[in-house]
Amino acid sequence: MTEPHSHGKRILVVDDGMTTRLYYRSVFEAAGFVVEEAANGLEGLERALVEPFDLLVVDVNMPKMDGYTLIERLRGDAAGQAVPIVTISTEAGTSDAERALEAGANLYLIKPAAPAALRHYAALMTGVAA
Amino acid sequence: MSVTAPLIDPRLPVARADDAREPISPQDYAKFCDFFYRKTGIMFGANKAYFAERRLQDRIAATGHAGFRDYFTMLRFEIGGTEMQQLVNAMTINETYFYREDYQFDALVRHVLPGIAAERAPGTPIRIWSLPCSTGEEPYSIAMQILEHWSQADRYDIEILASDIDSRALADARAGVYGERALHRLPPALKQRYFTPYGDGYRICDALRGSIDFTQVNVADAATMRRYRDIDVIFCRNMLIYFDEVSRRQAVETLYDSLRPGGVICLGHSESMSRMSSLFAPCRFGTTILYQRPVDHD
Amino acid sequence: MALIEARRAAPQAAAEATPPTLDTLVAQLGSPVASERRAAVRALDAHEDGIPALCDRVAAEVAPSVCEAIMAALVRRASAAVVAALLPLLRDGTPVQRNAALEALAVMPEHVAPHVAALLRDPDSDVRIFTANLLSVLPHPKAAAWLVEALADPHANVCAAAVDGLAEIGDARALPVLAALPARFPDDSFIAFAVQLASQRIGQ
Repeated sequence: MTEPHSHGKRILVVDDGMTTRLYYRSVFEAAGFVVEEAANGLEGLERALVEPFDLLVVDVNMPKMDGYTLIERLRGDAAGQAVPIVTISTEAGTSDAERALEAGANLYLIKPAAPAALRHYAALMTGVAA
Repeated sequence: MSVTAPLIDPRLPVARADDAREPISPQDYAKFCDFFYRKTGIMFGANKAYFAERRLQDRIAATGHAGFRDYFTMLRFEIGGTEMQQLVNAMTINETYFYREDYQFDALVRHVLPGIAAERAPGTPIRIWSLPCSTGEEPYSIAMQILEHWSQADRYDIEILASDIDSRALADARAGVYGERALHRLPPALKQRYFTPYGDGYRICDALRGSIDFTQVNVADAATMRRYRDIDVIFCRNMLIYFDEVSRRQAVETLYDSLRPGGVICLGHSESMSRMSSLFAPCRFGTTILYQRPVDHD
Repeated sequence: MALIEARRAAPQAAAEATPPTLDTLVAQLGSPVASERRAAVRALDAHEDGIPALCDRVAAEVAPSVCEAIMAALVRRASAAVVAALLPLLRDGTPVQRNAALEALAVMPEHVAPHVAALLRDPDSDVRIFTANLLSVLPHPKAAAWLVEALADPHANVCAAAVDGLAEIGDARALPVLAALPARFPDDSFIAFAVQLASQRIGQ
């Protein structure tokens, strides 16, 4: 459950791993965020199109729709222009990072991302006081 | 689209106070939720836990299992998905009535049909398919919505097809007689305009009854499904979620084939293509998600 | 009137030319046009001898709509041959092909079972990760036991995938092996978290 001092900022975690989603949930809830989940890129896109979020945390490799495609499609819709997006991937190559940023992500992180780093970037990108 | 679970159905059995069924442990409930979310995309929030647990206990008892563990093992291993269907049924609402989930009808007349009209010469056909149509509330609702709210309706030949596997439901649909409950969400003006009192209920007017093409169709029958082509809009609500995975894939493929490129399909409120197929692209119309067959082929 | 009169009869099948031969359909699988390839796949799906050609085609097909159609056909005819055609995609396939193959394999438990031991020993750690992911959704009585075996893998991400699977399908037998895992990866906070979660889910 969210901390009592929650600032109410909402993060959508999009990852096909249940444990990974719960891991991010625990990291971000500890910093006062409200966390929602999506289990694949298609579900993530659906939710991001019609629900308000302050940040998306998006895995790259997922069934049904990968992270790059989710980001491209979301940025292609008027409703998806503004929301900050962090992509998280196992791939350390610069071409993957470029691809994510070209698709419209704001930040590209390599797995595993340390909890402190995740909270730092989340606070930064959602305008929460650190 | 929202993935919160829908309302409690007052018709489902209520646990009695002296019900001796074993409560479900938090760990087992969490396991159940993970599984159900994985399969259906439906997540039960804390406020729905009581409802979901009671329905789960109903299913454990109905299938004659001693407890959650045995039931869950059966559920995970069954071929053919019969219990999964019952479970989904127990967790979602099935009632049909006029103007059910009318936000999709709004999307139809405000966005989808104008989009079609922008690219299609007047006088040409627009084909809309309600499948499954059950006892007809959905196709008649579509017809009324179009006549009432789409100013360009007269410029096109609008074909409304309506199909179901159940011939008795189709007979009822053609007869067009409904009780009060089916009309409870219908604006009074529409009730007046399109229905006449008939016995204890109401009958839909002849003009509408004569304009819906009711046919018997089994989605699993590829030969029949192949006859439906170049459909612009399919309403396929609250059917696919009850199919087992193998049958559902087949059904989605045939529905895709029946749509023209650029055509859209509408699913039920608790349904998402994210658990079914990546053939379709989600499209936002206002705050409604409909699914589009891509215009360009790959 | 905007709504046209309903026809009295159901739509009729279009007058059909002689149905295409198997050879014609197989040739059409190589068309440069994706919609033609998809049409060929759909026709082969309905053809009683169509499956071998679809198995042969699956590795070469990258267009998503055609890939989906092939997978929908293959899952209906689960067999050793179909599984043999899908397994290479775990190693060599594009992400789309690989994910489609995993979804298809997940509904063929008895045909996948003979391959599990070899998959868990594959030299490619990604293949071992995908196998662990597959096991967590495979409706086979030994799936949980295989995941416990996978906990002995040298690669942290394979173990993490196995722990993730056990959180969903594990039973008490997994608990001691799970408890011993963090000691092998002492700096991995994700593994520590995953083990705690799985142990909680298994309960008791």
